[in-house]
Amino acid sequence: MDVPTTVTTALEDRPIAGATCLEAGAGVGNTTAGLLAADAARVYAVTNDANHASTVSERVGRREVDRTAVLEADLRDLPLASNSVDVITAHGLCNVLTPQALERVATELTRVAAAGCHLVVDDYEPLPADAAVRELFALENAVAELVGGRPHLTFYPATMLRRLFAGHGWTFDRERTLLDPVPWTRRHLEAHAAVARAGAEELPTELREPLLADLEDLVAAIGEESVGEMYSIAMRFSD
Amino acid sequence: MQTRPLGETGHDSTVMTFGAIALNWLEQEGADQMVELVLDRGINHFDVAPTYGDAEVKLAPKLNQHREEIFLGCKTQERDYEGAKAKLEASLERLETDHIELYQVHGLEYEHELETITGEDGALEAFREAKEDGVVDHIGLTSHGNPQLILEAIDRIDDLETLMFPMNPVVAGKDDDDHDYEAVLERADEEGIGTLGIKAFAKGPWPSTDELPEADRPYANWYEPVDTPAEIEERFDFAASSGLTSVINAGDPKLVAMILDAASRYDGMDEAARRSLIERLRHEESPVPEQLHH
Repeated sequence: MDVPTTVTTALEDRPIAGATCLEAGAGVGNTTAGLLAADAARVYAVTNDANHASTVSERVGRREVDRTAVLEADLRDLPLASNSVDVITAHGLCNVLTPQALERVATELTRVAAAGCHLVVDDYEPLPADAAVRELFALENAVAELVGGRPHLTFYPATMLRRLFAGHGWTFDRERTLLDPVPWTRRHLEAHAAVARAGAEELPTELREPLLADLEDLVAAIGEESVGEMYSIAMRFSD
Repeated sequence: MQTRPLGETGHDSTVMTFGAIALNWLEQEGADQMVELVLDRGINHFDVAPTYGDAEVKLAPKLNQHREEIFLGCKTQERDYEGAKAKLEASLERLETDHIELYQVHGLEYEHELETITGEDGALEAFREAKEDGVVDHIGLTSHGNPQLILEAIDRIDDLETLMFPMNPVVAGKDDDDHDYEAVLERADEEGIGTLGIKAFAKGPWPSTDELPEADRPYANWYEPVDTPAEIEERFDFAASSGLTSVINAGDPKLVAMILDAASRYDGMDEAARRSLIERLRHEESPVPEQLHH
């Protein structure tokens, strides 16, 4: 499986070989694949999404049964022992966490971190004001707010996440730029549009129809866009 | 235009090499104008082959007018001594010149070809003889085939001075050995071998001939090229910033001026931008490695 360059770049200066690792928010398992390729002793791939868990198991877990455990679990309540993990990754995770959830996830990740644990947080800087994709993400968030009372996406500046984890006892190690600009491809935009469409199903017709019409117009107008920055922060747990 | 040392040949090649296959699709007057354009932009390294239609013949007049300004690469697909010797003589005649700066094994695809080339009565004997006679200055090899075979060629040809192979963000985003041209680049650097990048502008394979008949393709390339100024520039910048000595233009003459422009304005590409391009194209198909069955 091809490991994205963002993952290999974020991990290349971390001591992965022989480490017990946790991929928080496993997505499709790209970071788990990167951790295994970098000779991790064991990788816990944790996601609260059953489809993602199944995808990671299919793509990575089957070939690496001895080194991989795919866990369908809430990141705010991990089924892992305290002080048990050497390397934690959160690759593209924080942007799908609300501020309240982010705080609770940070607390839980800190609980499972062993002394000297390395944390790698990769995410997106808030998009510039003139980015076309901002409108699409705003619409996705509008649907999520109308349906569930909270946004789907929040782009946290790197400095803010550094301060958040510092408050939990983590020491800043380094920051690097993974992508500049960030390529928001048709595939990415279509995935975000699908989230908005699914959410809109729960809205009354008079709200749903104009939102969906705007959504389709936006997706067609944007096509794809390369804009913004993806960063990688590395921190160390000293407690 | 930037220049870089071509391995240990002693020649500094411009960051773009003119792939003279483009001349094949032009009449003589247009071919002459294209060579003048390329030279006017500062290009000092040309590459041609006898298999590029009549490109050698069309290059000849301007090559000889500007012979001292041009470091000429030529190549042969012959694998044995007699064949390679005969092709070299034929190329010299068609190019109307008495020497070629860089003579290359063209399009290595199979293990058995490497056996023949490096064996007794193999093509390399003819190359070395020509080098001793002063007809050829340097020996190179080109391939758009399996990177592992190219690595093996480096191991087996001690006097190899240049390599020509694919490099673009689509192949750079694929982790398997079949696309690991970066390993070739790394190894070539270690060995002091000059590196020339091809397929930098490949967008992907053409649609099937059912979908798009060969006669309806808008470009002469055997793969579909990128063709907007922005795409050409980012592809050039990617290839040129990957550590190659020089990047060769796409073969279709309609694209050459855009590529020259990108090469003239090249000022590097940082790692975050390179990764951005790789990730944007992650799901694209690569036309290389490919065996063209010549």
